[in-house]
Order: sequence, then C-alpha cells, then structure tokens
Amino acid sequence: MEADELLVLVAGGDQKAFEELYGLVSGPVYGLVRRVVRDPAQSEEVAQEVLLELWRSAAKFDPGRGSALSWVLTLAHRRAVDRVRSARAAGERERREALRANHPAFDHVTEEVEAGLEREWVRRCLDRLTALQRQSVTLAYYDGYTYREVAERLSLPLGTVKTRMRDGLTQLRKCLGGVA
Amino acid sequence: MSFADRLLRRADLHSLAAPYALDALEPAERLRFEKHLKTCDSCAAEVRALSEDAVRLAWLTAAPPPAAMRDRVLAAVRTTPQESAGWESARARAPQLPPHVWGAQPPPRTRAPRTRPLLVPFATATAAAALVVASLFAVQADKTQDQLDAQQAQASEIANVLAAPDARAAAGEDAQGRTIGVVASASEGRAVVTLSGYGELPSGRVHQLWLMRPDVQPRSLGLFDADTPLVASGLDKSATSLAVTVEPDGGSPQPTSQPVVQLALKSVGFGE
Repeated sequence: MEADELLVLVAGGDQKAFEELYGLVSGPVYGLVRRVVRDPAQSEEVAQEVLLELWRSAAKFDPGRGSALSWVLTLAHRRAVDRVRSARAAGERERREALRANHPAFDHVTEEVEAGLEREWVRRCLDRLTALQRQSVTLAYYDGYTYREVAERLSLPLGTVKTRMRDGLTQLRKCLGGVA
Repeated sequence: MSFADRLLRRADLHSLAAPYALDALEPAERLRFEKHLKTCDSCAAEVRALSEDAVRLAWLTAAPPPAAMRDRVLAAVRTTPQESAGWESARARAPQLPPHVWGAQPPPRTRAPRTRPLLVPFATATAAAALVVASLFAVQADKTQDQLDAQQAQASEIANVLAAPDARAAAGEDAQGRTIGVVASASEGRAVVTLSGYGELPSGRVHQLWLMRPDVQPRSLGLFDADTPLVASGLDKSATSLAVTVEPDGGSPQPTSQPVVQLALKSVGFGE
C-alpha cells in the first residue's frame, strides 16, 4: 500500500497501518534528519518525535495538497532545522566550525549515500545547477543555514542568494521533470 | 506607507518564498512571511510548488534508522492518543508545522508559549520516555487555563517517571482494539498508565486501575479521568500485572467486576 492510503488508515487509529507506514517513511525521515542534525543521538530523538507526530496528526494530512511523503519530509526537515539551529544558538561553536570545514555541503552528501535510481537523478540534476545555485540550496537544505548565513558564507548579497535559491529549486524541478 | 512602498514590500516578501521552502528564514521573518501567506493565494501556491521541489533533495539522504527506534516508536504509538483534524486541536500544534502543511488558513499560535517550555527538561530523558511525554501535549489542546495548570503540575510528576533510567514501555490491546499503555520504572516503583479507545462510560461509572500481585488482594492505584494519563506510585517489584475494571463513581475498595483489560508487567521490569 502507498503512504497516502496508509496515512488515511493511520488517521483512523489503525496501528497496523502505522507499522507499515513506518517501514516506508522511517528511512527517508531518519536519513534527512541525520543529514541536517548530524549528531546520531539527537537525530534519533528528532526522528522519533517526527514519526510520533505523524501518528498524532495523521488526520491533518490533506491528500489534495501533495503526497504523504512530501508532507512527512517537510515536517521532518522543519524539525531538524529547528533542532540544529537551537543547538548552534546554544553555543556549540566547535560544531559550527566543524560544519564550516565541511564546505561545500554537497560533496559531503555524495560520500554518505549509496546509489539508487532516484538519488542518481537528483544528484545529476544538482550537478547541472550553477555552483552558486547548488551551494545556496544545499547549504540551506542540508546544513540548516538561514539565507543570511548562506549569503555570509558565500560572500554574496542577500538578494542574490534568494534568487539563486529560487532558480536552483525551479531548475531542479525542470530537470527532474516527471520523476516523482 | 505609499503605494510604491507597499509594492516594494510585497515584492520583498515574495522573494522569501524560496528561502521559506528551504526552511532558511529566521524565526521573525518566518512569522512575517507566514502572515503574508494567509493573504496571498499566489504565494501559497508558489510555496507549495517550491516545497515539493525542496523535498526532492531529501531523496539523497535516506538512511536506515537504528533498529531499536522502531520498537520505541511503535510502543509510544500504543500509548499516544491521536488528535482530530478539528481546528481547536490544530491550534496546539501550530508552532511546529508550516502553514502550507496545514492548508490555506494556519491556526493562530496562542498556545505555543505554554506547550514548548515543557518539552525542554525532557530532552535528556530516555528516548522511550521522551516519546510518551508527547502524549501529554496531544491532550492539552482543548483544555482551559486551569486545567492546563493542573496538567502541568501532573506533567512534571509524570516526567519524573519517564526520566528514570530504567523507564520502559509496554502496551496491550483487547479484541476490540482498545489499548492500555504503560511506562514504568521498577526502581522508582512508579508508572504512567494510559487508556485509549474505551470511550465515555455511562454517568456514575468510572475506570479503576488495580495492581495485581501473587497471593494478595488487588490494590487500587487510582481512578482514570477520561483520557488523562494516570500516575501510579508504590508499585513493588512482585507486581505481575495491571488490571482495569469499571466501578461505581468514587471507586471501590476491591474490584466488583471482571477486568476490561489486563496488562502483564514482566516486560517493564516487574514480576520478580
């Protein structure tokens, strides 16, 4: 069964459906959170919160507004970013320096993941972006930086970063075309 | 503000759609943009499209989660009540969810300051504990201020149980799919128990929780107040199970009916 159908059953309190849904989304959720948060223990905590929230809030999912997986991953990304920012704000300077050292972010992703058809597509499409588009998008999405921080790190004006982010995302959409 | 200024300001806000879709706004800007989204249909549509694009970036990152996470999440699910799609309960969750996830009309965020701070002290609790704490927030949505205050007091008591290093979760389900969930700490002799799916009892009846031990009369652990978790203390290590019966209002000194549900405690460290 697809995630969308399962989520509807989960909204009705179906625990078996949740188990099945867990099988489908836990990998994407955990991997995304882990990529943004980095710390394994904290990643696990955030991923668990997200998955439990999925159970609690399943009734809020509206299939007319997008796929279940998008809904889940949007939520997971927001939570992961919130966590990594509060960790940074709490003064984890060392960690921040370590992140800087990992620049650019995209290279790091390439090392970590295994091959897969969808992955291959996304990676190819990311490769086709200009360097600034790619860095603007990946520093924000994978590393949880605000666009101001991205501008600072790339020594670009704010307006340019906002434009590169938009162009990067729309180019990605065109390149991926019907792949969904 | 002149018309030209307003246009400029609007254009400026529009340019935040992509950073917003990437979760790359600072909190104040995020709020400002979300406010703008409510009044701008074209922005909402654009944000939705850009968010779909952003999600594709997540295809690169999928990774197998730790095996133990599955057990913890599934155990927590058994003890966690669900929210309805209603507006009132949506309100409580608003601070964590972007509006395009909610739909065109994001609910107001008035409850945020009350629910967020509660989470903070639990951050270091064991993973199972942290998960079950979430069930507390789920039932806060429709409560009045007084009820919330009372619940907050209860929440810190519950937090103590959940934070115990040996806190463990278990759950049981009856033939009708109704569930009883428990998180217990054998070292502290305390447990948090949740019933779900049992619905409203007829007036004058109440669910009473009993501690069952070998060769001893059942001991009352308290009465359930609807879907609120019950905190039970003084559980000795010889305890073998928990049982729930339906009793007259105010409870009974000993059970007067067959248990509606019973849950063994061996898996949470009792029964020695």
